[in-house]
Amino acid sequence: MASAGESGDGADGKGVTTITIISSDNEAFEVLEAAASMSLTIRHLIEDGCADGGIPLPNVTAGILAKVLEYCSKHVAAVAASSEAGSSSNAADAAAAPEKEEDLASFDKAFIDVEQDTLYDLLMAANYLEVKGLLDLACQKVADMIKGKTPDAIRQTFKIKNDFSPEQEEKIREENQWAFE
Amino acid sequence: MGAGASSMMGPEGYGRGRSQTSLGDMPESCVALVLLYLDPQEICLVARLNRAFRGAASADCVWAAKLPANYRYLAALAAAADDECGCDESTEGNGRCCSSAAIKKEIYARLCRPTPFHGGTKEFWIEKNSGGLCLSISSKAMAITCIDDRRYWSLLPTEESRFHSVSYLQQIWWLEVVGEIDFCFPAGSYSLFFRLHLGLPRKRMGRRVSGSELIHGWDIKPTQFQLSTSDDQHSTSERYLERPGTWILYHVGDFVVSSSDELTKLKFSMMQIDCTHTKGGLCVDSVFIYPKDHQHEKERIICK
Repeated sequence: MASAGESGDGADGKGVTTITIISSDNEAFEVLEAAASMSLTIRHLIEDGCADGGIPLPNVTAGILAKVLEYCSKHVAAVAASSEAGSSSNAADAAAAPEKEEDLASFDKAFIDVEQDTLYDLLMAANYLEVKGLLDLACQKVADMIKGKTPDAIRQTFKIKNDFSPEQEEKIREENQWAFE
Repeated sequence: MGAGASSMMGPEGYGRGRSQTSLGDMPESCVALVLLYLDPQEICLVARLNRAFRGAASADCVWAAKLPANYRYLAALAAAADDECGCDESTEGNGRCCSSAAIKKEIYARLCRPTPFHGGTKEFWIEKNSGGLCLSISSKAMAITCIDDRRYWSLLPTEESRFHSVSYLQQIWWLEVVGEIDFCFPAGSYSLFFRLHLGLPRKRMGRRVSGSELIHGWDIKPTQFQLSTSDDQHSTSERYLERPGTWILYHVGDFVVSSSDELTKLKFSMMQIDCTHTKGGLCVDSVFIYPKDHQHEKERIICK
């Protein structure tokens, strides 16, 4: 495989490959190929043999890239652990599986509990990098911030500028009235 | 689905912090991603926030996820019904047409309104927030033994039925009500109910029905309900009819549809044919079919 990074020296002898990703502000991150491949965008670049010398991402700054890679690394590790537990005949491993799922869920919850600007950047980066799980997480978080609020409260929360005149807004309200009847 | 937001990026891409853009400046394509996680009512609520939200709230990609799998089939039935009754497009607001030019949001809105078929003896609609298919079949579409014999049965106009009339049983030995329907259901699980009322409906038009409102015979032997499908699913239940003066949905059973493209044929019935006793004072309105986890607001449900 024409990829950058050396084969790691995984003590279990699995031969883990790492990949270098370079942010738009020229910071390099070395991560497991499996983790980086959670981004379909990056996976395609690797498959196309573009990974020599590192994969540049001109659209993502270091701060956000670090967070995206943190998400991917955590999730890839969780998948590996659960498949190990699945193939293990150890009853304790099997019993620990739902607990590990809970751990991942708490990780996700804490991970996405960020300021709005970061949340927005994560959403856009996850979309661009095609990291489905992270995109779902970010979109769901924004959606949860919208649910149950009045339009004015939503505007306040997100600092949305109302670019409609009162008449236009009333017309839109009427057009959508069917959903409330 | 790309965000297409390159114009909103700072010179260094996503992640330059609290400078230019934030959730309040989300472009339409980004808002559309978020709207996928809201339900139809919420989407219609946020349509008025700003232009980006309004555009996203009308985006086909958002409503495609909400429409039932066989929405083209349902929309065609709705369009045919609207043509038949010559519905004036200018009278209603959004969601009155299912022409090929209609966007998916308009189709969704239209399907939320009931569409009558088979001479108005049946109706279907989709549940507003789940998009789940619901059907109702009037007793007028069912085969009722001795329905034409005025000693036993009469047709009562009432506003308590979506079909504006119910079949009222004065008294009979042999109660048998059978119906069937062929329809394409979106894949999923459904529950079938008979909507029944012991005693005369309170709101009825026209003259009072003569004779006393004698509810009797329902507590002697149970009434039997049955459901079967063309692919051999069967369900039966038995119930003593109860609670005079209230409309009750009696749960007959459930069935599963595996393919949204295939016609499901259903047969259903209610019977009480023990001829050692008469029974009477019953309104038979209709059969309802709801998605299995549908939230029922008004009616009482008697479950299996």
